[in-house]
Amino acid sequence: MTIEILEPGPLTTVQDAFGRPGWRHVGVPVGGAADPWSARLANRLVGNPDDAPLLEITLGGALIATDELAWMALTGGLRAEAGAIELPIHEAWRLRPGGSVRIRAADGARGYLAIRGGFLVERVLGSTATDLRAGFGGLEGRALLAGDRLEVGPMTGPTARWTGTRSTGPIRIVAGPHTAAIDALGAEWTVAVEADRAGVRLDGPRIEGGEVPSMGLPLGAIQVPPDGRPIVMLADRPVTGGYRAPASVIRADIGRVAQLLTGDGLSFASVTAEEAIKALHQAEGELAKIEPLEAAGEDGLAWAGSHE
Amino acid sequence: MIRPFGEAALLVDTASADRAQALAADLQREPIPGVIAAIPGLGSLLVELDPLAADPEAVRDAVATRLTHVAEQAAGTRLRTIPVAYGGEMGPDLPDVADLTGLSEAEVVERHATAELRVLFDGFAPGFAYLGDLPVELRVARLETPRTRTPTGSVAIAGLMSGVYPAALPGGWRVIGRTPVTLFDPRRDPPAYLMPGDRVRFERIAAEERERHAGVPDDW
Repeated sequence: MTIEILEPGPLTTVQDAFGRPGWRHVGVPVGGAADPWSARLANRLVGNPDDAPLLEITLGGALIATDELAWMALTGGLRAEAGAIELPIHEAWRLRPGGSVRIRAADGARGYLAIRGGFLVERVLGSTATDLRAGFGGLEGRALLAGDRLEVGPMTGPTARWTGTRSTGPIRIVAGPHTAAIDALGAEWTVAVEADRAGVRLDGPRIEGGEVPSMGLPLGAIQVPPDGRPIVMLADRPVTGGYRAPASVIRADIGRVAQLLTGDGLSFASVTAEEAIKALHQAEGELAKIEPLEAAGEDGLAWAGSHE
Repeated sequence: MIRPFGEAALLVDTASADRAQALAADLQREPIPGVIAAIPGLGSLLVELDPLAADPEAVRDAVATRLTHVAEQAAGTRLRTIPVAYGGEMGPDLPDVADLTGLSEAEVVERHATAELRVLFDGFAPGFAYLGDLPVELRVARLETPRTRTPTGSVAIAGLMSGVYPAALPGGWRVIGRTPVTLFDPRRDPPAYLMPGDRVRFERIAAEERERHAGVPDDW
């Protein structure tokens, strides 16, 4: 089976959920899906392993076609249509041979389109994720272009719908290592124009920042440069950073930060490390709340799209 | 000092890059259960744990014990020699560096090419090694306006550190030369030529000799 990118939208890349955490000592960023939780969910809905390669689609505007009957699922902050039919989010659906799916903007920055069987792309340094800056992984180390074709692996697992919930409310943070400015993070923030896979800059009051000796940066670290504007570090963050870090966004909420759009408001709530770990277990529990779809016969092609 | 950095990492203050490397090597030789990665910084080691499986208190205690036992790592035994064509088109900031340091261009090159440096840590980009310490007379500030693109192989200095750009990247360091050797290849194991702890020397070559040295070094 082959998937063709008819329109890529502003940025569509092949990613996986976990990236390359094991090569940071030689300067290779972790990368992978900016919202790894949504990426894992998309894969689970089409019966793939959590780390199967899938598409990360930014802001919408993508049109994707299949030459054979394909099971797909979309998660995250975008929505999908096939012809005039609005496809369900967080639930697997089928696209008929020759059909295409239009991915449109909705309430978040990124959508994850998984296909049953996963995309067949080369594994580089243990991952299929695209490293756009260094130019390797995914498809030729680059963003997808109109006319690109991706081969799909053999179908295996069962398809499903998700019945869980995702946390809402303030983004939770854990203090440290440079805690002086932690209280100042309690302000109301707005997502700045500078928001990409490496990090999200926040507009609001200027808070105490500054330089520190270069240190390893975990996912979610909130760095504050001398200009006093915090940046939440995401998947494509550099391995090390040299700015004060008063706190980190907890793992359970980092995917929500990756879904924020320029102009969105957000606030932080400080929690303990124990509460953060409990929240992560909860998020894992919600991720696991999927129920198999009825074994659909040929009449179950309700979601099969036609050409636009 | 060991401080939490999020619920899934500890920032271990090691005071030196050497000690950070020594602790990282120790953790690799004898892993602590629940620790999934260790990333050296300039004077610290970021120790990441699996937040779903690790016992954070136990990891913290174990790391603290290890830290008291690791010695300053002796200078690495592996020596990497990087051929560099200095100045001219290859090193557009050499005249400015000479001005800023009060040295002649030839003196800047001579001091850079005779210094024995160490890889303090890798970061910024795949295969980019932070090399230190330069002789103090080569200390210069970064460019006021960083370049949006520094060519692949650019050999640059800033503060007491030197580095080589493994790919064309934005950068604020002052470029004094260029090497034709490959420094990062994601399809090789390991993917980087310069690893934390390596000793590094620069060897002056003429611009015409670049082709002879181009590509993957023999001793990768």
